[in-house]
Amino acid sequence: MTRAATTKLGAYAALAGVGLIAALVLGRPEPAALAAPFALLLVVGLSLAERPKVSALFELDAERQVEGEPVQALLELRAENTVTQLELLLDLPRGLATEAPNPRLLRLYAGERPELEYPIRCERWGAYLVGDFFLRTQDRFGLLVYEQKLELPRPLKVYPRGEEVERLLRPLETQSFAGSQTPRVRGEGIEFADLRPFVPGDRVRRVNWRATARRGEPWVNETHPERNTDVVIFLDTFAEARDLAGGTLDLAVEAAGSLAAHYIQEKDRVGLVAFGVVLNWLNVSSGIVQLYRVLDSLLDTEIFLSYAWKDIDVLPVRTLPPRALVLALSPLLDDRSVRALIDLRARGFDLAVVEISPVPFVERGTGELDDLAYRLWRLRREALRASYLRLGVPVVEWQRGMPLQAALEEVRTFRRHARVVRV
Amino acid sequence: MLGAAGLAAATTFRHGGHDLLLLAVGGAALLPLLLGLAVRWSPGLTLGVGLLGAQQALRLALGPDELDTWAPASAGVLLFVAELAWWSIEPRIPAWAETALAPLRLARVLAISAAGAVLAAVVLVVASSGLSGGVGLELVGVLAAIAALAVVAWVARTHVR
Repeated sequence: MTRAATTKLGAYAALAGVGLIAALVLGRPEPAALAAPFALLLVVGLSLAERPKVSALFELDAERQVEGEPVQALLELRAENTVTQLELLLDLPRGLATEAPNPRLLRLYAGERPELEYPIRCERWGAYLVGDFFLRTQDRFGLLVYEQKLELPRPLKVYPRGEEVERLLRPLETQSFAGSQTPRVRGEGIEFADLRPFVPGDRVRRVNWRATARRGEPWVNETHPERNTDVVIFLDTFAEARDLAGGTLDLAVEAAGSLAAHYIQEKDRVGLVAFGVVLNWLNVSSGIVQLYRVLDSLLDTEIFLSYAWKDIDVLPVRTLPPRALVLALSPLLDDRSVRALIDLRARGFDLAVVEISPVPFVERGTGELDDLAYRLWRLRREALRASYLRLGVPVVEWQRGMPLQAALEEVRTFRRHARVVRV
Repeated sequence: MLGAAGLAAATTFRHGGHDLLLLAVGGAALLPLLLGLAVRWSPGLTLGVGLLGAQQALRLALGPDELDTWAPASAGVLLFVAELAWWSIEPRIPAWAETALAPLRLARVLAISAAGAVLAAVVLVVASSGLSGGVGLELVGVLAAIAALAVVAWVARTHVR
């Protein structure tokens, strides 16, 4: 706790001093009488001043919440002595806001334990520590100021609010584990594929009796097995474009969270690679625990500035399993990520790029030269997209306000006509 | 501001001489006070309140030698004006969780102003009691002035806000 004198204390002391000196100089009691109230206030104020003894307990009603939803916070103050005027400020990190009055002014009596509620609105995804309070109190006469910081950190994870995706993008090949996807191959399963004549070794339960009766010889059903797929979400964290309302990283994280949730819901295995200055990865796995792992990793995603070159070789081999769909979410602003994606394609990965368009975040200049630079930049981006398409990599532009499903459908349309080519 | 203007006017028109000079000093006191309140500038308030006190001292210097019986009331009003002025420039809190704080504080300001006026009256009563001034009494006065200045020095040394 720090203690400081207010300007009022200095001013009153000066006024009292001048009054007393004037009384001595003029040889009259009236100036001393004028100075006396100021001196009285100083004496009374300083002698009655005592350090406020305030402690607190702070709780959140949830440790996890979805972006846009509220969290209730409760602060219980404890005062050991009476505090006539307490200014209380909850210092919330950027991305969180409260609708409660903040700062607020209180009067605390000795032994009192008031409970203050702070409805906190989670405005942006992220991992936060909430609970920094600044307390400022004055003595009864405003002569001294006491300041104190109470650190009562409580973790709060705000997950990105994903959007509904009706149809996911499927890898070209499935894995060998059981899942919800129907591969092209035939085998043990429940999804009907075709009919064929009975051969020795076929199980009787697979005989299609209707077809057998119609054709006069035994026919059996063929089925597709149910398989899962591996999906690696590749998040480009080298660079972003942003404005006050958000940025490409926000959109990418929201899309990644949404895709991970939907893939895991369909029993697929999902992995994550946050490829940037700080490399972050999760091996593919399935289940609700994996979903929370992915979401927690996404919360730690940040953009750091660095010019150090980095390529795909730094990634551990197991993060990119064979036959996995690598779904890249990138603004395609940094050469390192552009190069890494081309590398992935060259290594035969099934790659699709959702380009989080930085164009809405870039202001077109007013001058002729600015306009020329802007147009050149747009042309270079189109050329980059064309180079990806030449390699057989679908690149779709996705912008703020556009449904993610639309981007996925565009990729699907491209992949319907394109085939994997080993380069 | 109304209290300060009233005090300046009362001091000017109660005297019956040198009205213009006293009015000028009173007006000069109101200007820094107004400026201090407008821009939340504490030295402006100090100067304003100081000039109001100087107006009183000037009236005493220019007036007759008899004891000013209105001095305690002037002292109380001066403290009341100063308290309200410093209250006005305190940082604003957007939400007052306890609305009862303001009336309580106003009551406290009134009480301390009244107590100040009583103390000023006691000072005058003691001064007019016929106790002959001497070296001892003057020494007490000097020590009180030095103590006040020591408080100023202490304040200046500490972090002032």
